[in-house]
Amino acid sequence: MRAHSLLTRRLLASTVPVALLLGLGAQPAHTDPLIGNVLNSYGLPGGVDTPTAEMLPDGTLGGTVSYTDRARRHNVVFQLHPRLTTALRYSRVEGINDHNNLGHIWDRSFDLRFQFIDEQGWRPAVSVGLQDFLGTGVYSGEYIVATKTITPNIRASIGIGWGTLAGKPRTIDTEDNGGKPNVDEWFSGSAKPFGSITWQVNDKLSLVAEYSHDRYLARYLRPNGTIDDVRQGDDEPDSKFNFGAYYTFNPSYQVGLYTLGGDTFGAQFSFALNPRNAPFPSGLEKGPAPVRPRPAPSADPDGWSGAWSADPTAQPAIQTALGKALKDEGQILESMALSSNRAEVRIRNTRYIQQAEAVGRTARLMTRALPPSVETLVITSNSEGMATSSVVLRRSDVERLENTEASRIAEAAQLVDAEPRPDGLVTTPDLFPRFRWKLAPYLELGVFDPQDPLRYELGAELKASYEIMPGLILSGTVRQRALGTMKQRGPGIPGQRGEHYTPEEYVSNPDYEYFNGVPRVRSDTRMYTGSDSPTIPELTLAWYAQPTRAVYTRVTVGLLERAYGGVSGEVLWKPANSPLAFGAEVNRVRKRDFEDVFGFRDYEVTTGHVSAYYEFAEGFTAQLDVGKYLAGDKGATFTLTREFANGWRVGAYATKTDLSDEEFGEGSFDKGITISIPVSWATGTPSRDRAGTTLRSLSRDGGAKVHVNGRLYDKVRDAQSVKLYQGWGSFWR
Amino acid sequence: MITSRIHHAALSALLIAGLAACGNDDTGNATNPLLIAAKAAGGTVAQMRNEKAEPAAPKRTPEQMAAEALRVNPAPLVMVGFESLGRTQVMAMTGQNGAMRTFMAPSEEALILRDGMVVGTRGLGNDLSVAEPGTEALIRAGRPGSAKRVMRYYNGDGLERPLSFDCTVGPGPKAGVVVESCEGHGTSFQNNYMAQGGHLPVSRQWLGPKLGYVTIQTLRP
Repeated sequence: MRAHSLLTRRLLASTVPVALLLGLGAQPAHTDPLIGNVLNSYGLPGGVDTPTAEMLPDGTLGGTVSYTDRARRHNVVFQLHPRLTTALRYSRVEGINDHNNLGHIWDRSFDLRFQFIDEQGWRPAVSVGLQDFLGTGVYSGEYIVATKTITPNIRASIGIGWGTLAGKPRTIDTEDNGGKPNVDEWFSGSAKPFGSITWQVNDKLSLVAEYSHDRYLARYLRPNGTIDDVRQGDDEPDSKFNFGAYYTFNPSYQVGLYTLGGDTFGAQFSFALNPRNAPFPSGLEKGPAPVRPRPAPSADPDGWSGAWSADPTAQPAIQTALGKALKDEGQILESMALSSNRAEVRIRNTRYIQQAEAVGRTARLMTRALPPSVETLVITSNSEGMATSSVVLRRSDVERLENTEASRIAEAAQLVDAEPRPDGLVTTPDLFPRFRWKLAPYLELGVFDPQDPLRYELGAELKASYEIMPGLILSGTVRQRALGTMKQRGPGIPGQRGEHYTPEEYVSNPDYEYFNGVPRVRSDTRMYTGSDSPTIPELTLAWYAQPTRAVYTRVTVGLLERAYGGVSGEVLWKPANSPLAFGAEVNRVRKRDFEDVFGFRDYEVTTGHVSAYYEFAEGFTAQLDVGKYLAGDKGATFTLTREFANGWRVGAYATKTDLSDEEFGEGSFDKGITISIPVSWATGTPSRDRAGTTLRSLSRDGGAKVHVNGRLYDKVRDAQSVKLYQGWGSFWR
Repeated sequence: MITSRIHHAALSALLIAGLAACGNDDTGNATNPLLIAAKAAGGTVAQMRNEKAEPAAPKRTPEQMAAEALRVNPAPLVMVGFESLGRTQVMAMTGQNGAMRTFMAPSEEALILRDGMVVGTRGLGNDLSVAEPGTEALIRAGRPGSAKRVMRYYNGDGLERPLSFDCTVGPGPKAGVVVESCEGHGTSFQNNYMAQGGHLPVSRQWLGPKLGYVTIQTLRP
């Protein structure tokens, strides 16, 4: 994962996008964090089991499966910041029995590592880490570790560990709901040293030796007050020395073989994707039509005089020709205003991830289509009929700066709020109504169920939308399952852990739809799965509007999601040049029937939130929602998302409401991570398609929201300052 | 009973697999993350297939290609050989902005030249966004000297990234050839130009770490 030439590394180097726009070269002098080569069995840079101070290249998203007869660990790792590594783990820990009585448990855990000292001269890099720190878990422990490069190929690490890393597992209270950081336990109890040496034999092969105090024990506090030590696997490792060999067969993939104490053997596979490492960094889309400079005034006196604008046939002819050229670029010319010296086009971008690329291509096509007297070019980006921003360019700047450094045209361009209904705007005829459809296979996966760790369903999905006019859209999805292991099942029976209601039992008694007085709004979500007949996950009529500058509204009516139907209304204030936005959403919904696609159940609720959004530097976006959730509970959700110019998005959220930990149940509060990767990043072909998933901790009833498609914030932002300038490097692409 | 169920399942699996996505909706769909891997792999397979399929087509010599292009296309033409892609093609001018000319192949890949000097590429997947050769005046004049050359690239994360090189210009081993030797970021490259009265009708220039060298020959100025 380090095997890049110096040159490629320079291209991959992280840079603040704003600095790029302000003319680069002058990067602040800073040393880079120490980057690791080997991922350990917990999925972070390290030795075999033990951690090192190393990081991964900024933005890296990776996964590891590590297998021994003591545990099988599935790790997802994300380098959130150059100095902060985060990891989410779902492990099968052998030898431990719980209510499921399987001889193993499935355990989720979450890690953080922060490198607070860089390696420099004689000084090693030093990191501090928290392992399995949300609640007390089998792997809970903390460490401080230093890593030093001894020779270019040998690195040594030495550290001290607490908890599991010291062979002193923390006591797990079987009655506790977990899920919350136990700050008072951190760095407590006796500490033990650990260390590792990594020898990078060549570009591909690394050998690791380490000294570890992990005794593969778990300690439980039983309800009767006794404390049990339970072995993970058959017995303790024979020795404290572990050895491993890791082979990197391309910068993205690594396989490893290792032994713990000489008696346990393990194998692991890991991959790491970096958003900066696209197979086709510039995309494979065809070259743009070049700028056509205007002829000299003497060569076209009529065109330069502006007299053409008096001809009523001029605009329709120009609009038709420009609309056709834009269509080839995946841009819909929705409307246009034209005068003798100014032209405004309103486009909908259906192809490029970066709006700047759509704007740049549109600007060039305008130079080819418009008479010479038109000097001001206004490119307004439309999203669902809402005008989200206008880029104002001087045509002479476009001619002068074609194919120069992108920051020069950025300096010459102006970004302003779009006028919702300007004078003289002519709608392009025959675009609406617009009917779109798509028939494709779907694959749905269910994870995190100890009794059935991986469930799937495969089938066909028909999606269709009928856009009556810009912003008024009827859309729906029909699914037909073909095969899969997903089955309909009721929620867990209170007091009988591991047992679940059958679907028939669950619907037989309305009282079952409440647990501890809390309505089951999400914990019975699997009642909606496993149907052999067609299902309609969504069928809605949505209306988007823009009452005034920078204010956007949405009303959605219908079957909003698989489990709820009703009405959803939203309003958002987001000026084109503001990193700050405010919004509000109110939903009146009713729970849908488990089987009858158009039927409803009795539960009805009004939910709503006020939201504040802020876009920080380097692609970080924060969102705070405060309001009432599906079960009637009140609270707040905080979401932090990191977004790259190429469209990669990784985020985490947590919701805490006024439900007590007991009412909420296992996990104590709702939390999860979302990952979204643009398909174009992997294939190089331009498209706005995305692939992604949300990993949430557990389906619980507290802090649950209605999933309404088409929320305004994501509809509006693409063409606004932060995201537009983040992707501005593609203007001349 | 069981076999019929298996048959049923297998049949539906086949049906689903055969159900390549169809429709007219191309606007920002959500797909399963596993499809990203599948698509990436599919792309590689298609690429390999294309590479295999190519030799089957009757291969024409560069001379034949040049002769045909000169016959059918009245625009200025260049013959371009991408060494790393193993491909030689004729590209025709599709636009001119001052001294800057955009040449395109039928596949709409583009090469942007300023009187023979490479300014940028488009549509090749590892494109050069813009080159700013400080050495240009020296090369055209055939005068020895040194200057900086900045090459800007479209990066995988969507940003434009500059690489800066220190270059020296001097006479080449053959008369009439100017050599520009550049160094920086742990690499080096040599550009060769045939300079004639300030024009650069024939050259071999470095496009970038992935695309490598390109040879350019003016067929019709």
